[in-house]
Amino acid sequence: MTDTHCPYCSLQCGMTLLRRGRSVLEVAAREFPVNEGALCRKGWTSTGLRGSRERLTTPLVRSRETGEWSVLTWDEALDLVASRLAALREEHGADANAVFGGGGLTNEKAYQLGKFARVALGTSRIDYNGRWCMSSAATAANQAFGLDRGLPFPLADVEQAEVVVLVGSNLAETMPPAARHLDRLRARGGRVVVVDPRRTPTADHADVFLQPVPGTDLALALGLLHLVDASGAVDESYVATRTTGFDAVRSTAAAWWPERVERITGVAAADLRSLATVLTSSKRVVVLTARGAEQHADGTATVLAWIDLALALGLPGRPYAGYGCLTGQGNGQGGREHGQKADQLPGYRMIDDPDARAHVASVWGVPPESLPGKGLSAYELLSAIGTPLGPRSLLVFGSNPVVSAPNATAVASRLRALDLLVVCDLVMSETAALADVVLPVTQWAEETGTMTNLEGRVVLRQQAVTPPAGVRSDLEVIAALAVRLGAASTWSTDPEEVFAELGLASAGGRADYAGITYARIREEDGVFWPCPSPSHPGTPRMFALSFPTTDGRARFVPVSYDGPAEPLDGTFDVHLTTGRVLAQYQSGAQTRRIRDLPDDGPFVELHPLLAVRLGARDGEPVTVTTRRGSLTAPARVVGTIRPDTVFVPFHWVGANRLTSDALDPSSRMPEFKVCACAVTVPALVGAR
Amino acid sequence: MRTVVVGNGMAAVRLVEGLVARGIGDITVIGDERHPPYNRILLSAVLEGTHRAEAITLRPEQWYADHGVDLRLGTRVVDIHRAQREVEIADRSRVAYDRLVLATGSIPTLPPIRGLVRVEGRLHEQVHAFRQLDDCLRLVAAVEDGAPRAVVVGGGLLGLQVARALAVRGVETEIVEGGDHLLRSQVDGAAGGVLRRSLERLGTRVYTGARAVRLTDEGLRLDNGVTLDTDLVVLTAGGRPSISLARRAALATRRGILVDGTLATSDPVVFAIGDCAEHGRTTGFVGPAWEQARVLADRLAGGSSAYTGHRTVARLRATDLEVAVLGDPEAGGAEDADVVQASNPMTGTHKKLVVRDGAIVAATLVGDLSQIGVITQYFDRRTVLGPREPAALVTPPRTGPAPETAASALPDEAEVCACAGVSAGRIRACSSIDEVRETTRATTGCGGCAPTVAALLGPVPSSVGS
Repeated sequence: MTDTHCPYCSLQCGMTLLRRGRSVLEVAAREFPVNEGALCRKGWTSTGLRGSRERLTTPLVRSRETGEWSVLTWDEALDLVASRLAALREEHGADANAVFGGGGLTNEKAYQLGKFARVALGTSRIDYNGRWCMSSAATAANQAFGLDRGLPFPLADVEQAEVVVLVGSNLAETMPPAARHLDRLRARGGRVVVVDPRRTPTADHADVFLQPVPGTDLALALGLLHLVDASGAVDESYVATRTTGFDAVRSTAAAWWPERVERITGVAAADLRSLATVLTSSKRVVVLTARGAEQHADGTATVLAWIDLALALGLPGRPYAGYGCLTGQGNGQGGREHGQKADQLPGYRMIDDPDARAHVASVWGVPPESLPGKGLSAYELLSAIGTPLGPRSLLVFGSNPVVSAPNATAVASRLRALDLLVVCDLVMSETAALADVVLPVTQWAEETGTMTNLEGRVVLRQQAVTPPAGVRSDLEVIAALAVRLGAASTWSTDPEEVFAELGLASAGGRADYAGITYARIREEDGVFWPCPSPSHPGTPRMFALSFPTTDGRARFVPVSYDGPAEPLDGTFDVHLTTGRVLAQYQSGAQTRRIRDLPDDGPFVELHPLLAVRLGARDGEPVTVTTRRGSLTAPARVVGTIRPDTVFVPFHWVGANRLTSDALDPSSRMPEFKVCACAVTVPALVGAR
Repeated sequence: MRTVVVGNGMAAVRLVEGLVARGIGDITVIGDERHPPYNRILLSAVLEGTHRAEAITLRPEQWYADHGVDLRLGTRVVDIHRAQREVEIADRSRVAYDRLVLATGSIPTLPPIRGLVRVEGRLHEQVHAFRQLDDCLRLVAAVEDGAPRAVVVGGGLLGLQVARALAVRGVETEIVEGGDHLLRSQVDGAAGGVLRRSLERLGTRVYTGARAVRLTDEGLRLDNGVTLDTDLVVLTAGGRPSISLARRAALATRRGILVDGTLATSDPVVFAIGDCAEHGRTTGFVGPAWEQARVLADRLAGGSSAYTGHRTVARLRATDLEVAVLGDPEAGGAEDADVVQASNPMTGTHKKLVVRDGAIVAATLVGDLSQIGVITQYFDRRTVLGPREPAALVTPPRTGPAPETAASALPDEAEVCACAGVSAGRIRACSSIDEVRETTRATTGCGGCAPTVAALLGPVPSSVGS
């Protein structure tokens, strides 16, 4: 019997794994404050990958001439990869090699990967798929609060709020057990507000539902701030004592009267006014954003607009109130704190900060000047492949960009232009299928490591079973390559040792793990960072007295609304938005291979009015075309989506061939959540 | 290169913001009001009391100082000397320009009512205009002094907003409209009739087809013989573009100052934007004014934007009175357009879509704006609709069945619990909620299906004898 956490989303629901006989592993619910014994079907079936015939158990190399795969021993594979990396570095410089990580990797792996890139490869080029997840919220929170922790309070705190506003979150499907907290809040008389272009199952848990045009959440927030200020509900004493910069934000909001907001967002002015009244008549309001608000070319500005609203209402730091981001990936939080990002070192330190470099270099036992500087963000890194100074090799850990990157056709062609693509994965993912070398690695229940969930709570996943023969852990792969490359420093393969080193490297940083140990996590069922010393209790709730900025105050940041990067026109006249479905996770590399999870493939959700206009019928194919690609999938005709918008889930190859690669200027987040498309019915096109 | 902007209203502030954002310096703004620019269209909300007067300031004076803009408030330009490229200010000083922008707005028209203006040329103290912030503040003060009755002269958008604002403040309010129905420049008689009924239901009397002719100590006399005893008379009977400066400078004018797509007047270094400009027509709406400001900011910064006209959506901002007018639904030439409408005076709703080649080109919505968020999107984007869509947009969506009846009607194969993937049939096969949890795991995820599961399991049998 092993206590652990679910392998999927950022809730990291507590669960217990039970051995039945030699090979059967069963999931049992476990009391953990986030899920309190509840799990969704992904969690219940999470052991289903075990024993999968698709599981990779031996290193593979692909012939570029014939495309055929052949088996290698681990030594052969590691020698091959290390020698190619060394040769590329010799010939083209250290930045010829690049690393691509993931927000599902444990803290130990994320840390070790960042160290490997900077120390063993000496490359600046490391980034990860979290750039496509919550980076806009991270950038905004850093600007406003001086610190980015998804939720600055435990998730269960929302039960004690009066109002919870969910902006672009479908948590009832993407993280179902979280919805229980909403129902408890409502049972106590609180109200839930859901803002989404689709009336998702989350809206079934809501008292107020607003359905804006995709890409207009920023204008909606400005409109709410306008009404809050107009009615005199700004918390003036909070603004005066705990914040700076309100005047500029206030005069910007004066131009966002409800009828103007209505015309842009498609939300009736009366509905906006009612929501403003809900907000101004409550003290304990929690505003939560998720990917719907964040995955935009103006995602950072959108989050800042909602934070500005929260600050004007005096929420952050007030008990059972505030702003938070509902992180997506399992270790979306920890994965962005320990050096996988192109511009960061462990402990959420910035790589261009001399003190940060000196501290981390001393932990690693290397000279600070040997550490490279800032690298390229995820999409820019992939786009640079094949350009004269671009990466010539890419090591991919815990990510499947062929499915998950925006404008995916272009990304796949970039990957094909590499001299060397190495993918570490459990199964032959779409990205692994393009690789030169595939290294089979352990998964979840076969290894131990820490994750930091959406609350900033560091939890421990513990090994429950022995991995299949022939499979190695990512830490072993990293260490073996580092040694072959003659890297300085030490390269432990023991997760607990790596975690201890991570603690030292993070000490004094914004995300300080120095006081956290595996023993404490087991004993306390998770520890909230920052936790700078063994005697420190951890920090479940932040900002009560001050913000971690130079003057201790939060910053209002004025933002302007320019609209989506790709407005509709006569040809591409429908908004396309993308998202998840309940039974799948991310690129589906794991969930699509679990028999008990339905895998119906992608679909195109559209409104009956649009369906009638196009002649589309439920269940029959429709084609969605953008400037970048097209996808044909069965129509799902539902009255719950805006009639000017279609939705395609992104777990399958195809959706991201459509999406836009316009990037946010500060977070470098692509505009996944809205672009212009044309929708046609293939049969009719032929008939006309 | 110096840019001088005459006027400091909504178009002007937008232009200056655009210039500052594009790095254009050496800007002088001359405004005749003493206030920094404010959101004029919210004045009726300030009157109503839903907006604090301070919250409508668009840019404080400090903003201009911070961005190096020379802002002169409470001063008037009296002449343009085009030959010298100078404007002359009321104190006879002059400001040189390389480029001049006229954003002089509009001025309210005074209706021909005897007794309105005192012999010394001032308005009668009971009479209020409603164009500027000072007008609004003066009216608020009068209301707060306890004026019990008001007559609003003019039944247009502004008149209705002011009338509702006064009524919300507890002032007994009446409206006098010379035309045969309310909002006569925007909507048809049927819509006007619906509006009239709604207003009267809210306690505001409406006199249409009646002109106010004389203000006396007894009250405001109408041409139909009625005299309305009142404490306040508010004039909202329209305005006209403020073009006297342009006309004196011999710039080409008609109703407004004539401009082309570059927003240049007949003098290539003099431009006009906003209510005072005439590009095909004058508008009086903020949307076109801001679009013109954006285009002109771009051009003055060396860009090549052009103004090609603008689709307007007129929205009434008044408590309990929902009106939207998209484009010009009463424009002539409707022969090639289809009109889809639904009117119900009993519920106070009137909805009319004018559709040409499948696209909504104009609309009137009164009383029910539930579909406005979709209709304005289609209107703005010129979306070509299918033949059934316009009718669906003016008919309110049907409401679904109540959840209890829904549960019993669910077929066995219908999915009840998405979190665990459980059908209604599997729930029905269980005898208790515990069995459901154990065998199907329904209700153990988000918990959202719990009421449906309870309904499917049927009523819990009451124990005998209790």
